[in-house]
Amino acid sequence: MKISELAAKTGLTSVNAFTDKEVDGVYISDMVSDIITGAKPNGILVTLQTHKSLIAAANLVDVAVIVIVKGKAPAEDVVALANKAGIALFVSSDDAWTYARKLSDLGLK
Amino acid sequence: MSPCAHRWVMTNVRHGYLVVEGCFQCGARSSYFSAEAVAPVEEYQEGKHFWIHLGSSQAVKFDLTCRECGKTVSLDDMTALMLSTCTNPSCAVADLARQGGPSTWVYVALCGDSSHATGRCVSPEGIRALNEYFNQNLKPSSKSIVVVPCELCCGIDKCQGIIIADTGLTDFYAGEAAKAPHRPGGKK
Repeated sequence: MKISELAAKTGLTSVNAFTDKEVDGVYISDMVSDIITGAKPNGILVTLQTHKSLIAAANLVDVAVIVIVKGKAPAEDVVALANKAGIALFVSSDDAWTYARKLSDLGLK
Repeated sequence: MSPCAHRWVMTNVRHGYLVVEGCFQCGARSSYFSAEAVAPVEEYQEGKHFWIHLGSSQAVKFDLTCRECGKTVSLDDMTALMLSTCTNPSCAVADLARQGGPSTWVYVALCGDSSHATGRCVSPEGIRALNEYFNQNLKPSSKSIVVVPCELCCGIDKCQGIIIADTGLTDFYAGEAAKAPHRPGGKK
């Protein structure tokens, strides 16, 4: 699924400019140390975390999209690092469970 | 050299704490990984050092195993990974990032002996495996990950970076740790 399609079908708000590429696979975690053990390259990461270390971890394992749930807005330095890393950042007003159900309904695992 | 073109997977993943201590006499720093349920905070003497707890973060440890040949590289000597953001002109790590350009991301593998008083750091074999692991699924044209040992850093208090650990979450347990039975010494 393309990132733009994902955003449209799950009601995401874009935080930064992104390259509209295919993404696959989902990982949900609020611990940055856990992200490097579970998130997959080109995948979607769903989190409540907004610290800059989130981007350091996601970049290391080549995550393509980060969805920050419960409407939390990342700080400017976090967005700047995501831009540098080429990671698409989005915000969802849903909680993690509700958003995960939307992804599941779309066939994403 | 092994004839196997390794394909690494993470194994032996352990969740715990990155505990940082300092010696109040000589200023040495030490960090270690604790798999205990609550991060140790005790002060204790170890030889000439008097270690006091400086902080702890939730972290993970792991090894790398090749799914082709079965070889396992232990990363017991690594306590955490740090994305380098250092701009110090005399720092070898910052220099690597400058030379690599914007698509090169330099991560520092931090060892337990931050001041390197013991002369040891993360093993060359571990560094090689980490580089292969984090680059094996990247498209060559997209970006490259360079992992280096922390002995290349310009100094524990000078070298800048973003440590991949969950600082602050352990604050929830500060009260519980104070009530926990005394354990002599923190390091295992």
